Amino acid sequence: MENDKPLILIHSQMKYLSSTSPEGVNIMLTPQFYTTKRESLPVQYAYQAKRIAPSLFEGLLEDTQDYKYFVQKEENDWLFIAYDTEKIKSFLTSKGLPLANISKMYFAEQSSALFKAPVLLGDNDALVNIDGTMTVIPQMVLQADEKPIKINKSFTPKKGLALEGRSKSLISNTETYTLAAILVLFSVIYFVEGSRYGGDDAEQEAEMRLLLENYPSLESNYKRESIASKYKMIDKKERKKRDVIKTLSHMIFKGSTLTSLTLNDKTFQAQFACADVSTSNKVKDLAKKEKFNISPISKSNDLKIGGTL
Amino acid sequence: MIQELKAYKNEIIVALALLLLLIALVYKQGKVSSVNSVGSGANSSLQELKEVIALKKVWGDKKITKKVEKLQKIVTPSKVKWSLKGKKLTATFKNLSSQEFNRIMIKIMNLAVELQKLDVSKTETSYQVELKCKW
Repeated sequence: MENDKPLILIHSQMKYLSSTSPEGVNIMLTPQFYTTKRESLPVQYAYQAKRIAPSLFEGLLEDTQDYKYFVQKEENDWLFIAYDTEKIKSFLTSKGLPLANISKMYFAEQSSALFKAPVLLGDNDALVNIDGTMTVIPQMVLQADEKPIKINKSFTPKKGLALEGRSKSLISNTETYTLAAILVLFSVIYFVEGSRYGGDDAEQEAEMRLLLENYPSLESNYKRESIASKYKMIDKKERKKRDVIKTLSHMIFKGSTLTSLTLNDKTFQAQFACADVSTSNKVKDLAKKEKFNISPISKSNDLKIGGTL
Repeated sequence: MIQELKAYKNEIIVALALLLLLIALVYKQGKVSSVNSVGSGANSSLQELKEVIALKKVWGDKKITKKVEKLQKIVTPSKVKWSLKGKKLTATFKNLSSQEFNRIMIKIMNLAVELQKLDVSKTETSYQVELKCKW
């Protein structure tokens, strides 16, 4: 748990740290490293507040530095904190605190309610809560009866920041989580697709089993092939015969009469009586389309149409 | 050691996600190829079986004899010469009006029998049909 780690108060007069907890530490910054503002704003969410944070600090911060902003909803107000990550990082490094060893970074402002007594910062300064705002003051102005306290893990606020660049990572946290989310999403898609393929296979097998139960005579492959070849041949021939009869029936219309039809397993021949030349030509055209053999009957408009099956 | 690993937390997260993706990809490809090899075999066998069943239902219909017999009743018995031996039929229909001829032809076309011979001839206003078929 991040909140169980030792909490170190970071202030400008702190001594060089020769060793830190191998499990990592949390740090709490004093106001020496940030600028704070409390505003009552009609915004509901932190991301909305964060968006307007830079405008609130206009004129208060040095233009030369690249500030980041932290926002937190308090009872009535929004707490805005502007901080310079690079400045903090270089200070921490100079004090022997490796960035990789820092789990979370907090601001003293977040736990202001817990600072009921001053916390001494080195030999000269003290961190005190003045009207709800954390302030660094000289120790000499402290009242004699004020007994200083030391901060401990219980001062650790709930919401903390990961110090960007604390690791040797080449990719930022945002990039990491975005990339990981995309990769996981694709993984889920592939898993789902894969399981669907498996499902299809099982469905086919079940359908096959059911059909074979209903038609046990088709269980043998050899028998199935033999039945299939027998019926396929019959089906092909008989369909062809019926198609020919159907086509010839379309050649019967006003002026064209079927006078005879002979059809057997191999050939067919039909004779049409046509009332005039144009009817005869129309029947001829229809027969040509079907690639039937056409032979006109002499001294009449009648036609003989035949073919093989 | 733990601290060292923590320093590369982001890379480790991405690597694990990438590994998961690779596993998912291998899983899917495995399923696809198994469907394509064994599965496609099963699929084509299923299609083949369905086709055989459909063909058998049409051309191996056990009720076809009864259906063929109905052909005889389409026209008055005087117009029919009927000879049914086992699964072979020889029938002659004479003096058919156009309507009767049409009815007979439609029925023949829809019967799942093997047409061995079909002769149609027209004299003046009537038709004659000679049919030889088996099943």
